[in-house]
Amino acid sequence: MSLTRRALLGKSTGLAALATLLGRDGLAKQPGLSSFPNFAPKAKRVIYLFQSGGPSQLELFDYKPRLTEFQGQDLPDSVRGTQRLTGMSSSQTNFPVVPSKFAFQQRGQSGAWVSDLMPYTAKVADRLTFLKTVNTEEINHDPAVTMLQTGFRLGGRPSMGAWVSYGLGCETDDLPAFVVMISNSGGGQPLYDRLWGSGFLPSRYQGVKFRAGADPVLYLSNPQGFSTENRRSYLDSLSELNQITAGEFGDPETSARIAQYEMAFRMQKSVPELTDVKSEPEHTFELYGEDARKPGTFAANCLLARRLAERGVRFIQLYHRDWDHHGGLPAGLPKRCKDVDRASAALISDLTQRGMLEDTLVVWGGEFGRTVYCQGRLTATDYGRDHHGRCFTVWMAGGGIKPGLSYGETDDYGYNIVKDPVHVHDLQATILHCLGIQHDKLTYRFQGRDFRLTDVEGNVVKAILS
Amino acid sequence: MATCRFLLLIFALSAAASAQPVDFNRRIRPILSDKCFTCHGPDSGKRKTALRFDQEKSAKSALANGKFAIVAGHPEQSELITRVTTANKALRMPPAYMGKDALSAAEIALLRRWVEQGAEWKPFWSFIPPVRPEVPAGQNAIDYFIQSRLAREGLRGSPEADRATLLRRVSFDITGLPPTLAELDAFLRDESPNAYEKAVDRLLASPAYGERMAFRWMEAARYGDTNGYQTDGGRDMWRWRDWVLQAFNRNMPYDQFVREQLAGDLLPNATLEQKIATGFNRNHRTNGEGGIIAEEYRVEYVADRAQTTATVFLGLTAGCARCHDHKYDPISQKEFYQLFAYFNQIPNEQGFAWNHGNEDPNVKAPLPEQSTRLTALDEILKRAEEHWKKVSGAAEKPVAEDWTVTHDLVFQKAEEIQKPFEQKDGNIADFGYMQPCTYSVWVKPEALDGGVLSHSDDFYDGNGHGIYLDGGKVRFHLIHRFSDLGIRLKTTQAVIKKGVWQHIAVTYDGRRKAAGIHIYVDGVLQENDVEFDQNNEPLNVKGRPIRLGAAGGRLYNGALRDARIYKAALTPLEVQALLPAGSKARAELALRERGPQELRDAWAALVQAQAERDKYYASIPSVMVMADGAGRATYLLKRGAYDVPGEKVEAGVPAVLGAVDPAWPKNRLGLAQWMTSRRNPLLARVMVNRVWQSIFGTGLVKTAEDFGSQGEWPVHPEVLDWLAVDFMDSGWDLKAVVKKIVMSSTYRQSSRVTPELLQKDPENRLLARGSRYRLGPEMIRDQALAVSGLLVQKVGGPSVKPYQPPGLWQELAGGGGYVVDKGEGLYRRSLYTYWKRTAPPPYMVNFDSPNREVCTVAEGRTNSPLQSLNLMNDVAFLEASRKFAERVLTDGGGSMEYAYRLATGRLLDEARKRVLERALQSFRATYTNDRKAAASYLAQGDSPVNPALDAGEFATWTAVSNLLLNSDEVITKQ
Repeated sequence: MSLTRRALLGKSTGLAALATLLGRDGLAKQPGLSSFPNFAPKAKRVIYLFQSGGPSQLELFDYKPRLTEFQGQDLPDSVRGTQRLTGMSSSQTNFPVVPSKFAFQQRGQSGAWVSDLMPYTAKVADRLTFLKTVNTEEINHDPAVTMLQTGFRLGGRPSMGAWVSYGLGCETDDLPAFVVMISNSGGGQPLYDRLWGSGFLPSRYQGVKFRAGADPVLYLSNPQGFSTENRRSYLDSLSELNQITAGEFGDPETSARIAQYEMAFRMQKSVPELTDVKSEPEHTFELYGEDARKPGTFAANCLLARRLAERGVRFIQLYHRDWDHHGGLPAGLPKRCKDVDRASAALISDLTQRGMLEDTLVVWGGEFGRTVYCQGRLTATDYGRDHHGRCFTVWMAGGGIKPGLSYGETDDYGYNIVKDPVHVHDLQATILHCLGIQHDKLTYRFQGRDFRLTDVEGNVVKAILS
Repeated sequence: MATCRFLLLIFALSAAASAQPVDFNRRIRPILSDKCFTCHGPDSGKRKTALRFDQEKSAKSALANGKFAIVAGHPEQSELITRVTTANKALRMPPAYMGKDALSAAEIALLRRWVEQGAEWKPFWSFIPPVRPEVPAGQNAIDYFIQSRLAREGLRGSPEADRATLLRRVSFDITGLPPTLAELDAFLRDESPNAYEKAVDRLLASPAYGERMAFRWMEAARYGDTNGYQTDGGRDMWRWRDWVLQAFNRNMPYDQFVREQLAGDLLPNATLEQKIATGFNRNHRTNGEGGIIAEEYRVEYVADRAQTTATVFLGLTAGCARCHDHKYDPISQKEFYQLFAYFNQIPNEQGFAWNHGNEDPNVKAPLPEQSTRLTALDEILKRAEEHWKKVSGAAEKPVAEDWTVTHDLVFQKAEEIQKPFEQKDGNIADFGYMQPCTYSVWVKPEALDGGVLSHSDDFYDGNGHGIYLDGGKVRFHLIHRFSDLGIRLKTTQAVIKKGVWQHIAVTYDGRRKAAGIHIYVDGVLQENDVEFDQNNEPLNVKGRPIRLGAAGGRLYNGALRDARIYKAALTPLEVQALLPAGSKARAELALRERGPQELRDAWAALVQAQAERDKYYASIPSVMVMADGAGRATYLLKRGAYDVPGEKVEAGVPAVLGAVDPAWPKNRLGLAQWMTSRRNPLLARVMVNRVWQSIFGTGLVKTAEDFGSQGEWPVHPEVLDWLAVDFMDSGWDLKAVVKKIVMSSTYRQSSRVTPELLQKDPENRLLARGSRYRLGPEMIRDQALAVSGLLVQKVGGPSVKPYQPPGLWQELAGGGGYVVDKGEGLYRRSLYTYWKRTAPPPYMVNFDSPNREVCTVAEGRTNSPLQSLNLMNDVAFLEASRKFAERVLTDGGGSMEYAYRLATGRLLDEARKRVLERALQSFRATYTNDRKAAASYLAQGDSPVNPALDAGEFATWTAVSNLLLNSDEVITKQ
C-alpha cells in the first residue's frame, strides 16, 4: 500500500523486523507489562468524571435530616474534634451548623438518597454505588487534587491514568491510552498538567489532552496548505529515509521512530473522526442534552468519553471545575449541578444501552467535601462551606462495582465517619482492582524505591465489588 | 523490572563467571538490599528481629534460636540460604505479604556461591572515598579501563566515527548546538594531528558551552519561572540561571561552584554574585494557595532543599529518611533532620508564600550595566539633595500656618462630626494591597472602642482598610481575607484618652509587610503589636463606602474632625505638619511650594531625581536567596509531619559519609566546606557521572540519582573513580573533565552497531561503540533555529515566551494566559523559555523534559506520536523549515546536497538523494500547481516571507526542509 510498508517488507528487514518494530515503544498498540492484569479484570477501562473544587456532599448525596435541628448552633467541639481546618476558617470564632437548602429524596429500588439538585443522576441511582466515607488528610485544593490523582500530596508522581496506561497498555492502535478533557465552567480553581502527567514514568504514559476547537490534540492538524495526501507522501519519504539510516546504523530506535510517525498519521485521521459528533443520532442529544453539541462543555466531553471508550481508550479523565463554594453556595452549586447532572447520568444510561457499562468503570467525585459549618457570614439566604477532607461522597458505577449500594456512614452532622471509611488510597486500590490490578504489584523503581499509586497504603473496598 | 534487567545484564556480562569469586558489593548486596533490607536493614522502625543484612556483624551473629543466618563456607548451615529456598511458604523469605517476589534461581545460586566462598563482606563502594586506579604510563585512562573490560568480555571497540559525524556529535555535547557549515569546513580542511583537539577547545571556549551545561543544571535545581502550586504565580530567578551559565563559562572550579550555591551568603564579605548563587536553594516550589497552613509548607521547602542537596551533590535518596530511617542506605531519620537543620534557618520564612513575585529573602540583582546606571542616578539624586539642602538651608522659612499636605489627598472631611458619616462612593480609596497610603484623623472619643475611619466591609472580619480604637489602643487593618490574608496590628500602648482631641495618622509603604505600617498619635511614632502579617493577595473592596465614625460594623462614640485619606505614605515630617505644633514642619515643607523660583526648581529637581531613581530601581531584577540567622531549633519530625516534633537535632551530615571538622561552622558554610572536602566520597563521583551521562546518554552509574544500595553498581567503576580523583586533583576543573571524556577513543567511536553487538549489549553499557540517541528537547529546537539561521545567540536575560498554542494556560487556570513574544524572544535558545510549572512548554514535555517540580538528574528518552506531530506541525518548526528552505534556495542554490549537509553535517549519499529528490518532486507537483496552498504553507511564523523567491518552489523546499528536520538522523546524536 504505502511506501512505508513496501520499504519495510521489501528489503532485508522483512517480517521479523516488522514484528520487532511493533514490539517497541512508539508503536502502534502500546503494550502493558506482561504480568498485568494480575487477574481477570471486570473493567477494561475507566471514565473518571472529576469534579474539581470539592462538591458539597451535604447538598448532593449525604442526607443529614437532623441538621435542621442544629441549624445555626455552633458545631460541638466533640464533633469538630482536633482536626485541622484551613487557614480560611480556622480563626472563625464560631462554627454555625447549616443544613442543606436543597431537599433530598430516596430514589429507585435501592432507596439511595439523592438531592433534588441532581434529578437525572437520581434516575440512574440504582446503577450507582455511593461511597459516603471517602476521606483525605488534605484540606487545600492543590495537595488534595494531587493526592487523588497521583496518590501523593506533592507533585512529582505519576497520575492514576499514567499508572494504568503503564500497567495495562492500550487497546487501540490509533489513539492514546490515556485521554484528558477539561470542560469550561467559567471559573474555578486551577488545574495542573501534573494531574495527568507521567511523573517519573516514561513520558509516553502521560495523559493526552483533547481540547475543544480546531486542534483537538496539540499539533494534530497539518498546517494550512499541507494536505493529507502531502502528509502521506511526506511520511513515506521520511520512512524510506529513516529506513536507510536504520540500515546504516543498526539502531532499533530508528525503526521505533518510523512506527511513531505512522501512529501520528493514524491519529490525524482517528481523532477528528472521534471528536466529530455530527454522525451521532438525534436521540444521543436527547439523552445528553443540547449542551453536548457545544464543544468544550461537560456534556460534550461525556459524549466524547463514550466514543473514546468505544474505541478502546483505557483511561478517560474528565475535569469540571468551580465546585469551590466557600460562599454563595445556594446560588453557585445549582449551576454546577446543572452543568454535569444530565450528562453524567446520560453517560451511565448510554453505556448501559450499549452493553458497555459492564466493562467500563465510571467514577464521579471531587478532591474533598465541604464542612457542615458555615464559612464566613451565615445569613437567612446565603451560606458557604469550607474544605472538608474527613468525609465526602464519590459514586462509582459499572465494571466491577455492585450497583445500588450506599457504602459507609457519617455522623448526624456529616462531619465524621462512623462506619467503613474509604481513604483516597483505598479508592485508588479499588479502581485498580476493577481493572485486574493488584495495587501493590503495580510498581516502578525510582530513586531506589518501588513506588506505587497507593504509596504505602491502600485496601480494596471489597464490599462494593460485584 | 529494573532489578531484573540489571541482573540479566550481570549475567550477560559474566557468562564464564562461575569460577570467579562473587563480589559482595556488585552481586550480593543488591539482592540483600532489594529483598531483605525492608525488614532486616537500616530502618530501625521496621526491624522485627535483631538480624540485619546491612551490617556484617549482625548478619553473621547467632540468631535467637541459636542458628546462624550466615556461616561462612557452609551454605547448608546458613539460615539465609535455608529460608530463601524452603518450600514451606510460611517460612520462606521474603514473606509473600511483603509484596516482594521470591528470589530467582540465579539469585539463590549467587548467594549460595558467595557463602561457599567465605561470605566476604565489604563496605559499600560509594561511601569509601575514591582512590585513583593505576593506569599504565602513556595510556588514556578511560580507554585503558574500557578496553580492558571489553577484552574480558571478548569484545572489541569500534573504529572512529567519520569526522563530520564526530564534529556534530562533539558540538552537541559541548555546546548543545550543531556545527555551522563554516566550522565543519574548517575542521575537515584542518589536517593537523590535533585538529580535533583544537575543535574541542574552540567549543569549550564558546559561550554556548555554559548555556548547554546550565540547562541540565536547571533541571537538577528544579528551576522554574513560576511558583508551582495552584495559581502558580510568577517569580524572577533568571539572575541565578545566568549566574550558573556564567560560572560554567568561566570554568569556575566546581568546589567553588558548589560552595557558593550552598552558602555564598555566608562567605566572608559575600559579594552580590555569591548571594545570587544561593538562589539554588530557593528554586523550590512555593505555595500561595489561600487557606494553607503556612508551617506545613515551610517545612516542605526546607525538606526540598535537603533532598535536592542530597540528590544533586551526593546522589543519595535522603528524602527516603524523612518519615522513617532509610530502608536501604545507612541514613537514619535523625540524620535526615540533621541535614534539614542546615536549611531551616531563614529568618521569617513564609510558608504561605507570595504568589506575585519574589518572596523574602531576596536581593536586588542589577546587571553590571544596571549597576552603572543606578550609581549614576544615585549620584544625580545626591547632587539634587545637596543642592536642595544648600539653597533651602540658607532660605528664610516662610510662615505657613495655612499650609497643609495636599499632594495625593483623595478624601477629606474637614468639619467636626458627632454622628457616623458615609461617603457612598468609596472607590477613590480602593487601594491595592501594594498601594502606599495614609489615614489621618482627629478623635475626641467618649468610648475607647469603635471604628474610626475605613474603606471596608461593614463587618469586623470583612475586607478592606480601617482604623479602630481598641481599648484605647489604635488598631489598623488591611485585609484581603480576615482569617489568613492581610495585616492586622495595634499600638502596644493604650494611648487614646477619652474626651481629649488627639491626632491619629497611619501610613503604609505599600510593601506588603506590617513593618511598613507606622502609627502616629499626636505625631509620636508608636510601637505596635503585630497580630497578623501575611499580605499576599490584592484587596477586593470595590464599591464599599468610605466611613467616618464606623469601621467593620463597629461604631465610634465621640467627636471626629479633619479625616483624610492620602494615596501616598506621608513622611514623618509631613505627619508633623498635620499637627498644631508642626509649624516648623509646615514652614519647611511650604518652602518647597512657596519659596522663590530657585527653591521650587531645586525641589522639583529633587523630586524628579528621586522618582527616576525609584523607577529605575524598580525595574532591576531581584532574585530569591538564602539567609541565615533565624535561630530556629530543628526537631526530628515524626512520620515527616510538620506538627509532630520529636527529639531536637543539631545540624550535621550522615555519619557514614565521614565527619564534619569541628572547626567548621555549624551552618550551611560548614556543610559547604564538608561537601567540597576530600572527606566527602561522593561529590566528585556524582558530578563526573552526570557529565558522563550528558555525553553518553547513560551514566557510568545508570541511576544518576541514586548512588546508594538500591542504585546501580557502576558499569566501569575504575573509570568513575579515575575521573573523580582526577577531577579533584585538577582543582575541580570541569572543562577538563569534559575534555578528557570527549578526547577519549571510547567517545570517538562510530555508533554503528552490528546485530551481534546489539544483542550482547543492547544498552551500550560496555561502550564497544559510540552512543547514539535522540537529542533532548532543547537541542532539537535549538538545532532547528540554528540550521534555519533564526537563532538569536544572545546570552542571558529574562526568560522569553516563544510560540505556544493559544489557551494552554487559560484552560487550566483562566486569567490572562500566555502572551507570545514578538521578535527575538521567539528565537532564543530553549533554556531561556519561560517555564510555568503547572503548564510547562508542551514541546519540552513531549520530548521528556523533567517537569521542574522537583529535582531531576535522570535523563529520560521515549518515543511518542506526539513528538512526531510536534515536529511536523508546530509553527516553531514550520517557520524554521521555511527559513531553512530560504537558506537552501539563496545560499545553497537549491541544492539537495547543501540542504542535507546543513541538517546533518554529512555528505549526501545516492540512496538518500533518490528519496529526497522524489519527495521534492512530489511536493513540487503540489505547490507549482496550487499557489494558494503554497502561500498559506509559507505563512507560518512571524518572520517575513522572502518575496523574492518563487512561492511554489519555496513551499516545496520548505516541505523538504521540514522532512529533514524530522528525520531520525537529524533529531539523533550519532
